Amino acid sequence: MLEVDRITTRYGAITALHDASVSVNAGELVAIVGPNGAGKTTLLNTVAGLLRPATGSVRFDGNDITGAEPARLVRAGLALVPEHRRLFNDLTVEENLRLAGCTTKAHERRQRLDEASELFPVLRDKWTTSAGYLSGGEAQQLAIARALMSNPRLLLLDEPTLGLAPTLVDVVFDLLVRLREQGRTMLVVEQNATRALRLADRGYLLRSGRVVTTGTGAELAADSGLFDSFIGTAS
Amino acid sequence: MNARAGLVRITRSMLASAVLIAIVAAMATAYTRTGGASRQSLIAEMLSNFILVLGMQVFIGNTGVLSFGHMAFAHIAAYATAIVGIPLVTKAKALPDIPFGLSDVYYGPLGVTAFAVLATMIAGAIFGIAVCRARGLAPTMITLATLFVVEQVVKNWKELTRGAGGLSGISRLEGNTWLWVGAFLALVIAHVFQETRIGRFAIATREDELAAPALGIRLFTARYAAWVVSIGLIALGGSLRAQHLGSVNPKQFTLDSSILILVMLVVGGMRTVSGAVLGTVLITAGNELFRQLGDPQRLDIERFPDLFLGGAMLLAMLLRSGGLLGDRDLAGWMRRRMYRPPPTQAVGERVAATNALAASNIEVHFGGFVALDGAGVAVRPGEIVGLIGPNGAGKTTLFNVITGLVNEQGGTVMLGERDLSSSTPVDVARAGLARTFQNLRLFKNLSVRENVSLTSLVAGRHRRDRQRPDADALLADAGLSEWADRRAATLDYGNQRRLELARAAALAPEFLLLDEPTSGMSDQETLAMVESVRAVAARIGAGVLVIDHDLAFITRISDHIVVLNEGRVLAEGTPTQIRANPLVAEAYLGTSA
Amino acid sequence: MTKLLQSLVDGLGVGSTYALLALGITLIFGVMHLVNFAHGELITVGAYASYFFFLHGGSWWWMPVIIIASAVLASVLTELVAFRWVRTASPFTLLLTSFALERLSHALWQILVSPKQRAFPKPSWVFNQFKIADISFEVMDVVTIAVTAMTLLLTAVVFKRTLFGISVRGAAEDFDAARLMGVRANRVISGAFAFAGALAGVAACLIVMRSPAAEPSMGSDWLLKAVIAAVIGGLGSFTGAVVGGLVLGLLDTLSRVYLPDLAEGWDKFSTAVVFMLIAAFFVIRPEGVFKVAHAERV
Repeated sequence: MLEVDRITTRYGAITALHDASVSVNAGELVAIVGPNGAGKTTLLNTVAGLLRPATGSVRFDGNDITGAEPARLVRAGLALVPEHRRLFNDLTVEENLRLAGCTTKAHERRQRLDEASELFPVLRDKWTTSAGYLSGGEAQQLAIARALMSNPRLLLLDEPTLGLAPTLVDVVFDLLVRLREQGRTMLVVEQNATRALRLADRGYLLRSGRVVTTGTGAELAADSGLFDSFIGTAS
Repeated sequence: MNARAGLVRITRSMLASAVLIAIVAAMATAYTRTGGASRQSLIAEMLSNFILVLGMQVFIGNTGVLSFGHMAFAHIAAYATAIVGIPLVTKAKALPDIPFGLSDVYYGPLGVTAFAVLATMIAGAIFGIAVCRARGLAPTMITLATLFVVEQVVKNWKELTRGAGGLSGISRLEGNTWLWVGAFLALVIAHVFQETRIGRFAIATREDELAAPALGIRLFTARYAAWVVSIGLIALGGSLRAQHLGSVNPKQFTLDSSILILVMLVVGGMRTVSGAVLGTVLITAGNELFRQLGDPQRLDIERFPDLFLGGAMLLAMLLRSGGLLGDRDLAGWMRRRMYRPPPTQAVGERVAATNALAASNIEVHFGGFVALDGAGVAVRPGEIVGLIGPNGAGKTTLFNVITGLVNEQGGTVMLGERDLSSSTPVDVARAGLARTFQNLRLFKNLSVRENVSLTSLVAGRHRRDRQRPDADALLADAGLSEWADRRAATLDYGNQRRLELARAAALAPEFLLLDEPTSGMSDQETLAMVESVRAVAARIGAGVLVIDHDLAFITRISDHIVVLNEGRVLAEGTPTQIRANPLVAEAYLGTSA
Repeated sequence: MTKLLQSLVDGLGVGSTYALLALGITLIFGVMHLVNFAHGELITVGAYASYFFFLHGGSWWWMPVIIIASAVLASVLTELVAFRWVRTASPFTLLLTSFALERLSHALWQILVSPKQRAFPKPSWVFNQFKIADISFEVMDVVTIAVTAMTLLLTAVVFKRTLFGISVRGAAEDFDAARLMGVRANRVISGAFAFAGALAGVAACLIVMRSPAAEPSMGSDWLLKAVIAAVIGGLGSFTGAVVGGLVLGLLDTLSRVYLPDLAEGWDKFSTAVVFMLIAAFFVIRPEGVFKVAHAERV
């Protein structure tokens, strides 16, 4: 479904991603792990069209989408839950969701809003509250609900458990399981590396902007050298 | 700054000014020789513009703060000129009720100019306090308001200004000689200002409003100095123009003329004196050309110059927002060509650092989010301490608390006996803590060497008890010698990081605080960074507190490591202890529930 | 008492025009961090449009449509030919770009039409007076306040209820996040310019009805006050723009009326006093009345 082929992405003088290749097949949950600054967020942002790679290509459903406008990608069926959630804090929960449904027709949008309030009962109670007043767990659920408004076939999630209390981390992981059961394809960047890898079909380990290791989730999670390769003493 | 270096700077400024004025004079001569006497008046107009543009350059160009209000001070100067420059008999008729006993004051040209400049600078110094204290768009708005205030006062304080009709009969300066002298003087002052310590500081604040205070440069002081000098030049320009024309009126220096002068500055390149000069010549010439394009018979078409001004400014903004010259500057070029490494000499006593840095029980909340929950860190003199932890653990927040960027709700920061808990970034820097930034905050448009020598200047002023490190030696330690004359923005990423390190070290701090010095670097570059940090720290005898996510780097470089998680200290110890601690692995990889 | 009420009505009249203009300025600032000094030119465009329309025998009742349409068109056009190309530049560059457009607009009207004022007739009822309890109103006062109130209400509905309005607010807060949700960057910015143009068009209608004439520099004076109103309110804040506009309008009128009572002969310095107050306000509160937290982030 998604093929990222040897992309290199730079921010000015900084090369954040070197020749990274990642692929996701339909129905899979793929995890990307690695230390801070490894280029995980850069990878997702490049796929989602916020950044343009210097070299390499990104294909979605066989179509070249390298450097395409995010707005086009959302319409093609790809949505990103960005790092730090980036909710519209001045907008209410409902308005956040409606904005995210801007790519769909009005009646479809209403239907999705109903679905969202069903799937996320926490949000239903805060429907007209400004997103800025939500707690961390509620905010994260809104961020995911928001991305689902365009009914994406591929969902990219960037650190969905960052800054959440352990019980809320469980909630988010349960949600990921449920979404997978619905047949949603997902590419997840996660700091809870072991746990994400156990859940994932496949995983990639990034370090210093390069893909260091890849394998099934279980393989990587069981790798006793994971911590070492994670923090770089193995190199 | 010793006397010899000062002399070199002044000589250089004089030389650069002489070359520029010679070029302009040659062009002016060629122009006037081919035409009638009317051409002299265009030259006169250009020369007074010249002084006004340079006046604006000193403030806007060096501080990056946009002002529309400079012409208000040209106005004040012009009227001050009229009030003491009109012969007494004429004045008694024009201004019978003149207040403040000004009715029998009359000076010669020098006295008039001095009076006007002084009076204007006093007014400017008062308004300047408001302008330089404000942040963001507010200073621009304040200058705009100033323009209108002065305009209305000039129009309505009839006892002093005679209102709408203006004043005439000012003793005139014949010919353009004095304007040439004034233009030369303005050039020298604008050049010299860029060479002075405070001028360099102003430029630093323009380049980065956050990094400059973090290196001990006070925004207000730097901007205010630029403002006062700038108003002085504007006053000179306003006064000379009034003495040249022999009259003043309320329409002389309005928003329109502010914009004209601003276009000259912006099109040529506001950051440099050469740019200001080029802009003045081009726009004055273009303006005249378009004036002649209009058909003099039809008054309807007398306003082609506006078309030219708008077009020139629009093109400049769309195509070259730094102006035609950008950072190219005659004086800057000379400075680089004439650069001689200063003789190595001990400035101040080298005293080994004896103070320890200790932050303890720090608490920070952002709204409901607890960023730091009792975290702390201690660094002994000369020690290298690593600060690690997963994303969101509070490392950078702790850094920001120590350096005064974030106010803590609880806890203390001590440097030796000194309490830095509620100090501003400037005071923290001057006390001896120099930091780098995670997302690179270099003075981008300055050369690599200037980035470092600028901080040296701060050290020379505020860290006298320490030996002032030699800029070139620091650059060598950081492996940057061969790029010393390049613009900082053109360095590759690894070198920009190293430059931030060298720049912080030039402050001669007791501690270097490095925020992710290796992020985005390759493994090899990371290894090289270990050596750079050690070499630089050893040269200045400073301790180091370093945040990094790369444990390989941290274990190699640190004597001691502190691990943060969720705003608290999770563990601390030697690198070996930390590597063996299962809690650390768990914090990094997530709970294996 | 009558004097006070009278000047309150006058102040609200001027202030509501400032508010409409300030709202457009704050809207554009929200989506692209541009302080649009060319915004006042939309008034000029509207005035000239109605002048030409009148030359060709247009009727007063169609004038608002012409004015608003031309202002919308001009606003969208400035974005298309100029601001789009400097969208990611520094606020300094953006601001100077808008200044350049302002100059160009002055020059074009001077060259294409005339530097002199071109007047056209106004509807006869505009300055008819009527009295309610000793206070005399002009029809125009009522029209101004009613039209402004309706426009503000409509604006509130658009930004609270419609998808376009929500998208603009979202984009103003976090542009990239809005793009990630499928909001088309070009479309939302064009839309914001169109809306700001419409608001300026309404303001232009009110201005032209009071003094039916077109003049190359007529937009500039209004613009400066509107910018100041928007900054007083806190750039990026809708409520702030309205409050800033009304406060400035009241301050203008009240200082002119009451300053002579406080200090004799000072009425001629009323503008100076107002601007001094404004400057002092900016020193105390540089971010405006309604601080917009995300306005700093670029």
